[in-house]
Amino acid sequence: MAYTLTRATDAIATDSSQYPLNERRRVEDPVKQQIHRNVFTGKLEEVLHSAVNWGRKNSLWPYNFGLSCCYVEMTTAFTAPHDIARFGAEVIRASPRQADFMVIAGTCFLKMAPVIQQLYDQMLEPKWVISMGSCANSGGMYDIYSVVQGVDKFLPVDVYIPGCPPRPEAFLHGLQLLQDSIQEERRPLSWVVGDQGVYRAEMPSQREKHREQRIQATELRTPDSI
Amino acid sequence: MSVASPSSDTLKTGPDTVVEALKQRFEERIVLEQATLTGWPVIWVARDALTEVLAFLRDKSQAFEMLYDLSAVDERLRSHRRGLPEADFTVFYHLMSLSRNRDVILKVALHEADLALPSIVSLYPNANWYEREVWDMFGITFEGHPHLTRILMPPTWKGHPLRKDHHARATEFDPYTLTVEGQDREQQALKFDPEAWGMKRRHDDSEFMFLNLGPNHPSAHGAFRLVLQLDGEEIIDCVPDIGYHHRGAEKMAERQSWHSFIPYTDRIDYTGGVMNNLPYVLAVEKLAGITVTKRAETIRVMMAEMFRITSHLLFLGTYLQDLGAMTPVFFTFTDRQKGYEVIEAITGFRMHPAWYRIGGVAHDLPKGWEKLVKGFLDWMPKRLREYERAMMENAIVRERTRHIAAHDTTEALAWGITGPNLRATGLDFDLRKQRPYSGYENFDFEIPLGHNGDAFDRGQVRIEEMRQSLRIIQQCLDHMPAGDYKADHPLTTPPPRERMLQHIETLITHFLQVSWGPVLKPNESMQMIEATKGINSYYLTSDGNTMSYRTRIRTPSFPHLQHIPALMRGGFVPDLIAHLGSIDFVMADVDR
Repeated sequence: MAYTLTRATDAIATDSSQYPLNERRRVEDPVKQQIHRNVFTGKLEEVLHSAVNWGRKNSLWPYNFGLSCCYVEMTTAFTAPHDIARFGAEVIRASPRQADFMVIAGTCFLKMAPVIQQLYDQMLEPKWVISMGSCANSGGMYDIYSVVQGVDKFLPVDVYIPGCPPRPEAFLHGLQLLQDSIQEERRPLSWVVGDQGVYRAEMPSQREKHREQRIQATELRTPDSI
Repeated sequence: MSVASPSSDTLKTGPDTVVEALKQRFEERIVLEQATLTGWPVIWVARDALTEVLAFLRDKSQAFEMLYDLSAVDERLRSHRRGLPEADFTVFYHLMSLSRNRDVILKVALHEADLALPSIVSLYPNANWYEREVWDMFGITFEGHPHLTRILMPPTWKGHPLRKDHHARATEFDPYTLTVEGQDREQQALKFDPEAWGMKRRHDDSEFMFLNLGPNHPSAHGAFRLVLQLDGEEIIDCVPDIGYHHRGAEKMAERQSWHSFIPYTDRIDYTGGVMNNLPYVLAVEKLAGITVTKRAETIRVMMAEMFRITSHLLFLGTYLQDLGAMTPVFFTFTDRQKGYEVIEAITGFRMHPAWYRIGGVAHDLPKGWEKLVKGFLDWMPKRLREYERAMMENAIVRERTRHIAAHDTTEALAWGITGPNLRATGLDFDLRKQRPYSGYENFDFEIPLGHNGDAFDRGQVRIEEMRQSLRIIQQCLDHMPAGDYKADHPLTTPPPRERMLQHIETLITHFLQVSWGPVLKPNESMQMIEATKGINSYYLTSDGNTMSYRTRIRTPSFPHLQHIPALMRGGFVPDLIAHLGSIDFVMADVDR
């Protein structure tokens, strides 16, 4: 599996550096490299990563952050009919410092972008970003002077959820995809172990994965009956 | 001086005494009465007479208590202006008299070299934000305005977006980038400066605290910022800061066809769903001269009321959560889910169905809809009763909300408050009764009223409104008329499919109408409706094109937020949170 390695370079950022600040490049799975060097410690490291990631992915604390319409559907996912607690992500935090991931639920406005960046900076590592809905993904139907055409113009996004707005089920699906991705991550196990880089797995595109099955559908239901 | 004949709509309601009185009093300073499809007299006034005319109209004898709307039009590219006074920009003032149930629209012509008007904040306090918006969007200055700064765009913005020569698309430029330096600059520009607002930093021996609430705060219901000047827990003053949710919907309307703008209306009051389509399609239908069928009208009413209920349920859950009650939101969202099951089965979508069409609705009701609607009608009443028992009769909720952020009818009218927040003060004014549209006159329902105009009444009125909406839906269910769901009219979009595949001519016509969209005659029209949060209206100006020349969207939440400082001075921080919860606003309904 291919990975993206991110190294923190915030400390040496200059005024003209662009967000997202960190340097990233594509690499091979670091654990695989370890195994080639030493079978025993390599295996141990794989088990350790797996255990830590299992803990992380099942207790994700979302940041209570909403911009527009999508936030209503996101909140719907938190309430009884959809019950996000089934996935261990119900502990909403009102402070970015206590949150694990941020859902950009809604349109990213020019006036709001610097605020979003500051809130993201206030979150502590490990942290992730879900971009929810067409506006956050690409600007969507708002190609207009006051809207940033996709939050990934300045934030590193882990999962994109399509829809305008996506259904609560789609949000839950996005959350599960984030969990899958977290399971494959390689983060420093300690400040003295490893090379201190963050390795993110490049997860398969859902569109490609499901294309075969989706194009099988040739007859769509008419809206004439419920 | 030329005087056009009054519009057909004005004639229907009888000769307007307002126009006569104005002409008598101001003579040649009343430049022209313009014939439009707005349904109200549209009067061009000389600039030097504006303040006097407004003062005269606000006076007891005319009783136009409310400044309903104030905005402008960039006239420079408009080709069909025959008979109208020469102007580069026009500023219009929409006044409403609720006691006489009459409106009047005043227009003032301005020239590019001299874009200035006297401010009317001393006459109508809610003109403050509207004038700032006009300055921000058009660059027209208002002399004597207490704080004429940008309101929707960032303080560092260059240009005035609603001018015709301002770019519309973001993709006309290089992609957005945010640098470290740019981030610092923007954040610095947003920093609150008390002196600029005439605020003192200290008083006698105590220093005030300036608390920045938002633009991201769980109680701010979206991207809304409020800067509080505090003396301990007491709010000395506060300054709402909006514009973090400005999606440029009015500019967007100038490049979408009449038909393809419908989805954008859904996202104005994003909890209101198809309710937002209603004023827009009604205004377009006035321009096109379409009369819709009884069935289409009734379907529209039914779906609009479904959304009133889901919107009020969201209000109720979050309002009580702001007061510290954790559970109600889980219950109300369960009800919303039930509502969405009905909405989704009928329209095919949950929040933004964009389901109304020019001349009708997107498709007919599906087979078996009655059972679904009936299920919802059976489910809701006992739940509403439960909310009342568990919450509104709860001592803590009552203590937190009764006599909190209370205001009377006079104050509400002066600040442009409409909808349930106005009715909570005891004034019986609901457009569905006072100016029925889309067949509301055929329904039997009551208008719930409050007494004290406080945070409690605002909640209670909405619970009662849900009951009335259920009654309306019940009547739709019992008496759904048979017939077509689309009007038989050449401008109905998309046109009925049966007319399409006959020969090449019908195919071409159909193709043009779905690709370019219908062409509407040059005129101006407007429609107000009683939306979930108050009065929502679309003022459309057609220049004989496939797109709107200017679309003005008047939303209820904009004046509701403007009212906050006047109401909260002297209150406490927890009262402010209770008040914010009770206003029922979404930021898209403020910033558009």
